[in-house]
Order: sequence, then structure tokens, then C-alpha cells
Amino acid sequence: MRGTDRRQFLTLAAIGGASIVLSATPGVAWAGAKKPGGIPAARTRVYVLVVDGCRPDEITAELTPRLAALRASGVDFPAARSLPVMETIPNHVMMMTGVRPDRSGVPANSVYVRAEGAVRTLERATDLRFPTLLERLRERGYTTGSVLSKEYLFGVFGERASYRWEPSPVIPVTGHAPDTATMDALIAMVDSQDPDFVFTNLGDVDRVGHSDVTGTTLQAARTGALRQTDGQVGRFVDHLRAAGTWESSVLMVLADHSMDWSIPSNVISVDRILSDRPELRAQIAIAQNGGADLLTWTGGEAGRVPGLAEVRRLVAGHPGVLSIHEPGELRLGPEAGDLVAYCRAGWRFSDPYIVSNPIPGNHGHPATEPIPFFISGGSPRLATARVLSEPARTVDVAPTVGALFGLGAPKGGYDGTARITAFVS
Amino acid sequence: MNKRPGRAVPQVKSPQTGGMPPLTRRNLLRSAGVFALAGAATTVGTLPAQAAVRAPLAPTGFLHGVASGDPMGDSVLLWTRVTPVPGATPGSGAGADVTVKWEVAEDSGFLRVAARGSVKTGPGRDHTVKVIAGGLRAGTSYWYRFSLAGATSVTGRTRTAPAAGAPVDRLRLGVVSCANLQAGYFTAYRHLADRGDLDVVLHLGDYLYEYAPGEYQARDVVVRPHDPAVEMTTLSHYRRRHAQYKTDLDLQALHAAVPFVVTWDDHEFANDAWSGGAENHTEGAEGTWAARRAASQQAYAEWMPVRFEPGGHIYRRFAFGSLASISMLDLRSYRSQQASSIVDPAIGSPARTLTGEAQMDWLLDGFSRADTQWKLVGNPVMIAPVRFPSTLSSQEIGAVEQLLGTTTIDGVPYNVDQWDGYTADRSRVISHLRDNAISDAVFLTGDIHSAWACDVPADPLTYPTNGASVATELVCTSVTSDNLDDILRTPPRTASVAVEEAFKAANPHVKYLDFDSHGFSVLEVTPGALRMDWYVLSDRTNPASTSTLSTSWQVTAGSRAVSRVGGGAL
Repeated sequence: MRGTDRRQFLTLAAIGGASIVLSATPGVAWAGAKKPGGIPAARTRVYVLVVDGCRPDEITAELTPRLAALRASGVDFPAARSLPVMETIPNHVMMMTGVRPDRSGVPANSVYVRAEGAVRTLERATDLRFPTLLERLRERGYTTGSVLSKEYLFGVFGERASYRWEPSPVIPVTGHAPDTATMDALIAMVDSQDPDFVFTNLGDVDRVGHSDVTGTTLQAARTGALRQTDGQVGRFVDHLRAAGTWESSVLMVLADHSMDWSIPSNVISVDRILSDRPELRAQIAIAQNGGADLLTWTGGEAGRVPGLAEVRRLVAGHPGVLSIHEPGELRLGPEAGDLVAYCRAGWRFSDPYIVSNPIPGNHGHPATEPIPFFISGGSPRLATARVLSEPARTVDVAPTVGALFGLGAPKGGYDGTARITAFVS
Repeated sequence: MNKRPGRAVPQVKSPQTGGMPPLTRRNLLRSAGVFALAGAATTVGTLPAQAAVRAPLAPTGFLHGVASGDPMGDSVLLWTRVTPVPGATPGSGAGADVTVKWEVAEDSGFLRVAARGSVKTGPGRDHTVKVIAGGLRAGTSYWYRFSLAGATSVTGRTRTAPAAGAPVDRLRLGVVSCANLQAGYFTAYRHLADRGDLDVVLHLGDYLYEYAPGEYQARDVVVRPHDPAVEMTTLSHYRRRHAQYKTDLDLQALHAAVPFVVTWDDHEFANDAWSGGAENHTEGAEGTWAARRAASQQAYAEWMPVRFEPGGHIYRRFAFGSLASISMLDLRSYRSQQASSIVDPAIGSPARTLTGEAQMDWLLDGFSRADTQWKLVGNPVMIAPVRFPSTLSSQEIGAVEQLLGTTTIDGVPYNVDQWDGYTADRSRVISHLRDNAISDAVFLTGDIHSAWACDVPADPLTYPTNGASVATELVCTSVTSDNLDDILRTPPRTASVAVEEAFKAANPHVKYLDFDSHGFSVLEVTPGALRMDWYVLSDRTNPASTSTLSTSWQVTAGSRAVSRVGGGAL
């Protein structure tokens, strides 16, 4: 899938004896051993850390003391939210492009691809049609890195960054590398290459959230993951301090979406809803995204309008369905199909079969919009200990980071807002 | 809400029969007649500290003070009432049309005038004056005054709201409700007026009461008898009653110092009002409900600093930069009749409504708007569910039922006048908050003459195990109106304490409850947290009552939960 002939590799020893393999874009030089001290005064290092699937109320001094301390000392945006569809891939793409899915081509994790006649994950680098910070900064002479714990994220961002880490070792069921390995890789990349900007996804909190069968009452595994991930973030902060780069560093910490837990009986299956209407079912493709179903009309054009109207009516009648939208209302492009159905809090979609989605923790629906979003670090460019009412969104990451590097807007402008209130002018 | 204890028994203290403190003081003040301030350009803050009703002895001028309200980014509503000739008393219909001048300035000396104009008034609107002063700067303090012929009103102070979307570090509001003039003095208003740090006063209803002297007062004592001395049912009655309240110096001081944002509850019309009537309305004998409601709304529109005119709707929303919005609800005009017996068991019927369909859609839409962080709701009656403890004595149950407007249906007490009596509507609100993960919704509530800090559970049945809350509710107590110790006829903080503990045990989402105290609240809103301080009065029947901080509770941003906070007063 990815031509290795176009990549260069660097293998580094990591803690515990494992090796970490980084790849680089052709033409990008590998740095030698990092030079101690001597940081140019003007230089700013920016690290975006995505704590995948973290809810803002899960960051507390007791449970996640390192994250809580970063939030308290930095600039917090408590009104921050994820954007449709509240899934991992589209929101990471929004962070790095600064534009909504109708411009990036990535509206959900899973879509029906008409040209291929199949539902699949948007995990190919060619699925993402808009320039990202990773290459736009590179083109301006900065070095960038991606350290993404999930295989599909590594896939969709491909070779855009100067330096990449391919998640390894990957846990088979979840398709992600544990946060300890991800943090090893981030630290190794920062130590060896010291990129100006690194985009990192920590997947444990989300992955454990999905599979936490204790649901909303105990959440023991989730709590454990939060503690662990908090420790990894703390480890990174400590490392920057020890390396003497903390004073030039900006850490942007956020989640791509939050998490909502459903009980086994609260399952919506559009397949089942349409089971009495086989003629409709045969003309609808269903891309299930946890708390959202993307429905695409695959039948003839003649039956399209009445057929979709009938599907809408039937699906809306389910008690677990919150709302149904046309993709344009949510700024999702044609890739999202014809209808987007959201579930209520405490529900989930499971399609095409009722057993297709057995996991209780889900996102994609509006109940999973609130996210942590704060900017911290030792850089003097940052305001300190501020809380702002601004409605920060995942799509704001690119313009905000871009502003720190003096990067202009992409062609057509950003859809997000640079949250420059967080900075000292 | 709040059922009156009945029409018999009370010991009416008329001005003529008064003689025991604090009535002595009031009578002295009245007989002295020192409050005739017509034409005097008295600056706010220098008004005399007396707290009695000012007898309208001065024949002409601006006898009912000045007020401002409903601040927006570029405008604010200014209010006064003028008595152009001695006979043009409130409700009389006497007096000719006159043209009143108004001006708004950036300084108290009116050297830098920002806006001025003139407006006609007359007996058609009871000589009240309402004007929207526009073209003002956002987030700015102004002074204003009115004049007619040689008479000039006192100078009022007001403040515009911050511009839409602008960052706001802090907003401070006074929060009040339930001010029964017959039950005491409005020293709560005085203490708020004296603070000098408030952006807005939020009045959550029961700004005035409809009862005749002897029908509802401070336990058995009518501290100050209502005028007219009948239950208000006609336009003239409502106008006179409004006018009487507006002669209270403490209320005048607060109106002149801070813009109000108000909504009505039931007593602006009649007790336990609903769309088609009221508990305290007898169709026929007291005219038609339609006529009575129209009269009360007309007088309200005339006498209150509110952007409401008859025929419109009073539910409306204000924004304070990007920090907060306040949606003021009308929970009387559109509601179905309260459930009252087992023949009307449909507490949860979707056919019954508290808000009406249009207002519900508007409210839910407001929660979903992204332009403000905190979504405050001026909520006249309590939304958090309240289950009655099974351990109360019949006397305690009776007293709490009276306080909360509860009715026992099939042996189970229901708060039929609150959201508890309209569970289908409440479910719509709670589902909307939960399904859309609305982060910072806070209900600010009055009505029940007691102080509460509550989570609003996603589901009361599972809340004890998972603590899942969709919003919070902070209830301010009454300025003067009776509460539990008054109904139980016990000293404050004695018999009620056990009842409060029983309620908290039966309702784990209720974190704080004070059934006894009177006073006011101060609400501070910042991007990081919202906090309410409850102040209690030493004695509502004493015009010199002091106030002390009772407790403070906060809601940190995104938490949807209340927690106690220390560290002293705001």
C-alpha cells in the first residue's frame, strides 16, 4: 500500500530495549545527535497531544493530576466541542486541515464509497483531499512529525509529515499501539529529530472506553487507562523539562470526541428497522459509525427521493434515534451519503447486523461532543492560568498552530478559528 | 406559587393600630413624611437608608423612582412614572397626556450625554414611561434621568451588556424572588443596592402579591398592608398595587442602581395561575380570567422595566458576550391546569404542558446555541425532581406541601405547580440536555421561598449510583414571603433542619437546602465556574435588618454538578 521505496528509515533504541522505527519524507535530512542547549530564542516547538475519546469531566486533579495541572497552568476552553461526525478520523483530519469535511473529503470513520460499491474505513492517504499542517509547515521550512497510535490514522495522514512513526506494536483487536509505545516513539522522535511540530494521538483511553463492559457505573478499566495515559503525558512534560526545551514548548491537549456508554438493549439497527421493507433495504447502504449511521441510497434515481423520505420516516420513528440530517446541514460532503442518523445518549447503532457493534462505549452522536481542549507549556508566548468561554472546536487546531508559526490560511481559508486569545501578543 | 394559608385568622396590623416594633419605626417614618423627593435630583447611593414605604405625599413629579432593565449591547430600557398633576394618582385614570424628557450620560453630572429624547405618556398607560435608549456602547455604565416641566427624577445608573461574542471575565448578578410587601421590608433589595458590583439583578417572579391585607403576610402579622385594601382583580387594582411596591425606598434604590431582568411567576396575576385560570381566581365573581390576566399584564407592562407589551411574550433571551446567556421563562401563560386530584392523574401526560410548544422549542434551541458558554435559565418554578421523604410527620408534610404547592395524589405528594407536575415537558428538557451534551446549563429559580443547590439528574432512579447530572439548579429564597418555619410556627433553624435532612436523604441530588431563611443571592459567572452566595436576613420584619452570608456553592465549567465552596463572600 505504501511504497517503501519513497521512504527513508531510522531505527532508534527505545527504553526497554525495543527499537523504534521512524520514516522520513525524501529530502528531509535526519538530524544527528541532538545538540545540547543552544536553543534559538525565537524558536517555538508545538506538540498537539490528542487524548483520544477523553471526556472533559474525566480530567481531575485526583484521577489525572498531570493533565489537570497542565490545564490549570495553561489556557482552558471548557466550552470546546468535537464536530460532526464525532469520530476519530474526521476530527483528526479537521485538526490538521482546519476545514470541515465538505472540504477535506473525510466526514466519518466509515463511509460507503460509491466508486467502490462498498463500505470501508477512510484510512487511505488519498482519502484526505485537503492540505494539512504537516506538509504546509514542511513546505515553509519547518519540520513536522506524526506519532499516531491508530493504524487508520497513520494511514490517512500517510507521508505528509517530515517524520512519521508507524504504530508498533499494534494490539490486534483494537488496531492501535498502547500509549507507552506511542510515548516512547514521541520522545524518541523529539530527542532525535526535534521537529518543530508533532501531532500525536494517544489511543488507550478511547480503546478501553469502547470495550469497558462495566459501562457507566464502575468504568474501572477506563479509570485505569486515564491514569496510565496521564502518566505518559506527565512523562513527556518531564522529558521536555529535562531536555531544556520546556520553555520553548507549546502543548495543545485535546480529545477528538468524548465517549458515551450504552446498555446492551439500547441498540438501533437500521437493517432491522428496514427488515419489513426489503425493497428499501436493498437500496440502502449503511456505514455504521457508533453513534451515527450514514445511509446512502444505492438504488435508481427514480426511487431516490421517495425512498429516502420513507427511510427517514422509518428510522426517525425509532425511540433511540435523536435526529436525522442531510449531510450538508452538518457540513459533511457527498462522501457521507444521503442521510446521517444520530442516536440519543445511552444508545448506539449496530449495523448491518445487530451484533456488528457489541461495544458499549460509543461516540459519533451529539452526546459525545464535549472535549477537553487546552493550551499549555513553558513558552512565554502563552497566557497562563486563563479560562476562556470561546467555543473552541477540533477544526481550530490548524489555524491556532499555524498562527504560532506565522503560517497563512490555506486556499479558500480556514473553517476553524485561530484561538489567539491564548497567546501573549 | 406558594399557597396562602387561608383568609381567616391573621392579625392585621393597620398603620393606625401598629405600635410594636418594627411597626413603630414604620409609622414614625410615615408620619414624618420625609420621603417626598419629587423634583430632587438625588444621586443613587445617597438615598436615605430608611426602608419604609414612602407615602406618596408629594403631589407631583417622579414619585415612584426610576428603573432600567433588559440590557443589550447597544441599548437599555429606561422606566419611570410621572405624576403630572396632584390628582393623577396610579390607577385613577386622571391627568392629561404629557411629554417627558429623558437623557442618558456617561457621567453622573450629565456633561457627556450619550442619548436623549422625549416620550409621550398619559392616563392610557397610567403615566408610566418606558423608553429604549439606543446607540449606546456595549459593556458600559451610564447615568440616566427624566424631567417634566421643572421636575427632574432621581438619577439612575445602568449598564449595557457586553457586545455579542466579546470575552467577559466576570458577570455578577443579584438574584431575588418572592417579595411580599405585607410580610416585611425589602431590606434584601437595599443590601443588593449597596454592593455596587452588580451588572444585573435577576428577578425570578412574585415581584408583588395580589392578596388583600390579612390574606397573606408574615405569619399572622401584616407588616405593611397592601394598597388597595382588596385582592387585586381589576386594572386599577393592579396599577395601584404596582405603584405601592414602587414607593418602597429599598426597591427604588435597587432599581436606580442596577438594571433588572425580570420575569413573572403567578402572583403578578393570582396564586397558581395557569393559562385558563388560577387557584386564587373565581371565575365570574372576580370577572373572567381572560380579563383579569389582560389587566394584570397591562399593568405589568406599564410598571416594570421590561421589554414586554401586552400581546407579546415575555420569554426572551439576553447574552453577555461569549460568557453567558439568560433565557427568561414564562411558566404561567401557556401552562395546562395543575393536576389536582386522582381524577386528573396525568402528571406525565404529553398532552399537558408547562411551557407551551413555541416556548419549549425556543428554550431547547437556546441550549444548543454555541455563541455563549453558560446557558442560564430564569426559571420561575423548580425543575429538579423533589421526592417527599416518608419519614415526615403529618404536620411537616402539611407545612412543606403548603410551601411547595404540593398536592397529594393517591397518597403520593406531587409538586403539581412545579416541573414535577409536568413531567413530559421536563423529560423533553432533560433529554435535550443529555442527548446533546449541553455543558453549562444552570437553572436559576425562585418561587418556593427556600434556598436549594441541586444537580438535575439525567435519571433520578440511577443518580444515586452514577451521579449522572445534566444541569444544575440554584434556588434563591424569598425576599420576605413566608417559608417553612413560618408555616410550622417555629423559630428559624429548629424544626426545619430535620425536615431538610430528610429531603436531602430522599433526594441525593439536592446538596443544599434551607427552608427557613429570607434574603437574596449573588451569582458570579466566570468562564471557569459559576458561583452563588446566599445571604440571609436577620429579621425580615425589621427595616434595619442585617444580612449575612449563609453559604456558597459553585458549578465548575463542564461539571454539570454543584459543589460547596468556601473562602468567604464574593
